[in-house]
Amino acid sequence: MSTNGMLIFTMAFLFLFLGYLGVPVAFALIAGVLAVTAFTPIGLPSIMAQLFNGIDVEALLAVPFFLLVGELMTSANVTGRMITLSQSLIGHVRGGLAQVVTLFSMFFAGISGSSAADVAVLSRTIGPDMKREGYDLGFTAALIASASTMANLIPPSIMAIVYGATGNVSIGGLFLGGVVPGVLVGIGLMIYSHFFGPVGVKRRRSTLGEVGDAARKAAVPLMIPIIIMGGILTGFFTPTEAGMIAVVYILVVAIPLLNRGHIRQLPHDMVLTGLLYSIPLITIAAASTFGWMLAYLRGPAVVSGWIASAAGNDPFMIMLLLVLLFVIVGDFIDAIPAIIIFMPIITDLTQATNINPVHMGVVIIVTLAFGLITPPYGLALLMASKFIGVRFSRAMFASFPIYVVFFAAIVFCIFFPEVVLWLPKQLLPESVGCFKNPSGPGYICP
Amino acid sequence: MSEAKTLVLQAQRHLKWRSFDVIERVLMVLCGVAITGFTVAVICDVVTRMIGRPWLWLQEVTMTFFIYGVFIGTAAATRRNDHLYLAVLAESLSGRKRLAFEVFNRLVVLIVALCMIWYGYLNFLDGFRSLRMPSMTPLASLYAAIPLCGILVALFTIEQLVNGWNNGFAEPADKPGAAHGGPGSYPL
Repeated sequence: MSTNGMLIFTMAFLFLFLGYLGVPVAFALIAGVLAVTAFTPIGLPSIMAQLFNGIDVEALLAVPFFLLVGELMTSANVTGRMITLSQSLIGHVRGGLAQVVTLFSMFFAGISGSSAADVAVLSRTIGPDMKREGYDLGFTAALIASASTMANLIPPSIMAIVYGATGNVSIGGLFLGGVVPGVLVGIGLMIYSHFFGPVGVKRRRSTLGEVGDAARKAAVPLMIPIIIMGGILTGFFTPTEAGMIAVVYILVVAIPLLNRGHIRQLPHDMVLTGLLYSIPLITIAAASTFGWMLAYLRGPAVVSGWIASAAGNDPFMIMLLLVLLFVIVGDFIDAIPAIIIFMPIITDLTQATNINPVHMGVVIIVTLAFGLITPPYGLALLMASKFIGVRFSRAMFASFPIYVVFFAAIVFCIFFPEVVLWLPKQLLPESVGCFKNPSGPGYICP
Repeated sequence: MSEAKTLVLQAQRHLKWRSFDVIERVLMVLCGVAITGFTVAVICDVVTRMIGRPWLWLQEVTMTFFIYGVFIGTAAATRRNDHLYLAVLAESLSGRKRLAFEVFNRLVVLIVALCMIWYGYLNFLDGFRSLRMPSMTPLASLYAAIPLCGILVALFTIEQLVNGWNNGFAEPADKPGAAHGGPGSYPL
């Protein structure tokens, strides 16, 4: 093994070893980089500069805004109205509460980009009801965790923001590209719950009036996805500004209208979100330092060389190998550091094989979202099992059949790029490489 | 309980000195100030651009709040044990094994914090050679956040090491962790 190979191996080993011993991810990453830097001509103060450069990215400002949106909506208890709407729409079918979990997650995904917020809301609200109705606890935890992954697919998605910011890919394009796999996963979970999930308690079908009433009450929070995507698609706002507008909407419209008493709690929400956003962002800073060192040691060139030599120039084969790599990586590392650390490899392969960067981004994000429910580091499943009060192993076994839904979504995304890219092409053509037709109306797309 | 007191996490109380509670409280308030600050700055940025009189320096203000918010939050998260973890292997152990793991983990964090202090300081000095546009403020004004964060992280890690060594790292049986506390409470 070459010197660089040894250094890369040492850096990765130190990160995983320290991380699994219980050192916080950010510090384990920095420790790995610092140890290896001693064997390179790079000065250690430069590593500190990289730590800073990793977060000195304007697009990352969107992360705290979307976390703040989720936190405000949850703590002000505005989400209850969306649960009622989901119940009135789908609560009467077989496995009613399981269907409500999935439908609510699709609604909530349009507001918050965080799976953790989704898991917390569902575990606190529908989780106890599912327990009362006799749903298996393992199934409940597995379903909540799986449904929460849609927060990373349906816009606004924090994974898409980080991917776009670090890979120089259109965040708007990634947002729109995530809609198809997000809906596919949602439909897949509903089909699975209907045919293979517990029966639950049979409820009567809501009348049209009841559905209308629930929709009217949920209208205020459901405006948020329209504001976010509307602002981005019209080119009026960047994703960061759209997040800010959503925050302002909640503060000025949603909370005063729906839960006026919560206004006194707002300073507390701000303080908690102030802490909340620093945690992923210091991990992003550390991961980008790790990724920078990896690039310095020519790791991406070596790995992308391996993949390219195994797959040739076949873009589908390259994507399948990358999916395999990220399924393994996602089992051990959180999605955000994984995106940043491996971004140079993804960029290399995307450029070498002429794959559309938005298409590649969507495939990688779906794969990493799947990693949220796979052991040993299935973060959403870990959280759901903790909140629901069931052993992780039981939730893990209950989640195995659900993997099929994710495999189907990933394979679909790989082999049907025209479907994944259809929405971005219609609404944000420049995001997927289309350019204005110089001799007429419309766009020309490669 | 008053608002000020709820800002200090009561979980793992046995690893904390009461005299440091004020630092955690101040850091939490500063986290709130940082996110409020850059929210207001982004609002002003959008509004001034819409009315055709953009204040260009607002983007610098936004990034300053943002960067300091991240490093202040990192320090606070260290005291609250709120960072992202791959696994918390030590929590499943007991006795001397647990003590050894917990001490080792914190020594790693302490070494990284010390590097952040010293090399972050050297980087801070280097930052006087680069300027932020358009205000021409030295970049060192932002680089300063790294050694400051390092000092706080080192302080809290020493606090946990000393208390953990004296009282043990495991939560006393009669004082279970607070509902929203503990490792990995706020993952993405």
